[in-house]
Formats: sequence, structure tokens, C-alpha cells
Amino acid sequence: MDYGLITFSSTHGAICAQKALEPAVPVRVMPVLREISLGCGMALRFPPQALETVRDILAGSELRPGEYAFYAVTGSGPALRAEPL
Amino acid sequence: MPQIIDAKGKPCPTPVLMAKKAMAEGAEAFTVLVDNPTAVENLKRLAANQGFSAAAREENGTFALDFVKGEGCAVCEAAIQSPLPAPGADWAVFIGRDIVGDGDRELGTNLMRMFFYTLTQSEDKPGAVLFMNAGVRLPTLDGQVAEHLKALAEAGVEILVCGTCLNFYGLAEQLQVGTVSNMYDIVTRMQKAAKVISL
Repeated sequence: MDYGLITFSSTHGAICAQKALEPAVPVRVMPVLREISLGCGMALRFPPQALETVRDILAGSELRPGEYAFYAVTGSGPALRAEPL
Repeated sequence: MPQIIDAKGKPCPTPVLMAKKAMAEGAEAFTVLVDNPTAVENLKRLAANQGFSAAAREENGTFALDFVKGEGCAVCEAAIQSPLPAPGADWAVFIGRDIVGDGDRELGTNLMRMFFYTLTQSEDKPGAVLFMNAGVRLPTLDGQVAEHLKALAEAGVEILVCGTCLNFYGLAEQLQVGTVSNMYDIVTRMQKAAKVISL
């Protein structure tokens, strides 16, 4: 995977996760990939090696497990693949 | 040995008509001799329109055009070989504030980051991004936006940041990317652009 992506069931959830993660992980805000959802939404991108840290922080946050999902993103353009983690 | 059509001294449009006649007769490779540059240009246009390549040589005031069918047209070839204009070079983005739209600042801040993320990933990049007023907070204080702006600058996008605004907000020392600019340059850049998108 080139980078990890977290999607959320709400924008509030995304901002909440962003606040929890920013002190520990270099997250980037980006739009949810078209490959994942046609809707507009805010997603967080993180380096692959930060996956466990990200999981731990979110598990300890006020977000419930069903409110976010992880994807492994590889490639770009037409060759882009996003696999659920 | 390819056919040679001697059109030296023939008035326009005779050289073109002679070449056309050869084409009509099914010649796929022939050489036309002419003695003036206008005839060379006309013959090149004919070649391009008829699917021939026509390489021109000059010797002692005589031009020889070697017509060859099916090797693509010279004009198309030239267009293919010429460097592409920077994608979207004729449009610009004007950023007069540090959030997208009105409303929640936190949401607006993230929308701005998402805007620049998407712009960086896009093939069609603007020729310039222009920052004024609170917009100058982005290339100075917002790490993610500054990172995207660096990528855009590397891709050839001009990043102009209002110097008066940097001074006003006390941010001149914190500029991470872009050129400190002024109203003259920014207005000129807007005038040069086919469209300016304001955020």
C-alpha cells in the first residue's frame, strides 16, 4: 500500500479523528476517493507504517468502530486500487 | 528512383497542381523542385492535407520537397513534437481568505486543504495561484496546504503571495512557498489568465 485512508460516516467524525490523530501521526485531509464513494466526504490519509498507531488512537477516541473504515490505497490514476483493511 | 517534378519558375499555383496531379496518378513518393519559399509552404500544406510527409531541402536557391505518402503529415508531426503548453496554464486561482466559503472555520480549513490536495492530484493545473488578505495564512501557517503548494510549484504553477498582506499579518518571515508579490504582478497575472477562480 502507498498510503492508508480512513473514511467516516460523518464529517464531524472526521474532524474528531483528525484532532485525535494530528499530535501523533502526520495525517492529511483529502476528499474520499471516487473509487470508494461517489458522495463528497472528508477522509484522512496516513503513512502505511502508522496503521497500528492510528488504529489504537481511534479505538481510544470517542468514535465508535462502525463510524470509520480503513482502506489501503495503492497506485494512482486509472491504476489506483483501494482495498478495505 | 522517385519521380522528380520540376516546377522551378512556375507561377503559383502550378507547383501545387503538378504535385496534386502526381498524387492523383497514385504516386506515393516523389520530389518536387521549386525556387521560392512560398511554393515550399504551399506544397507543405498540400502534403499535410493529403496525408504525405514533405521534407524540404535547399540547394543553391532550389528547394526540393520529398513527398512520401503515409508517413504522417509534417504539420501534425510538428504539432505532436512541439512541447505541450503547461496544462491549464491559462487559468488562475485567487485565494482571498484562509477558509473555503462562509460558516464553520474548522470545516472551511479542511475544505481548503482538500481543494489543494485535489488540485495537486489533477492533470489540469492552474497557471497561477494568487494569495491575498487572509489567504496568505495558507502558504505560511498551514503545513498541509504549504506542502501541496510546493508540489504545485514544482509542477510549474506560479505561486504569488501578496507582500503587503504578509507584512500586515506579520507573516513575512514564515512564508514556506511562493514568491512575495504585489498588486501589479497579481493583477497582470489575472489579466493574462483566461479565467480566474476565486475562493
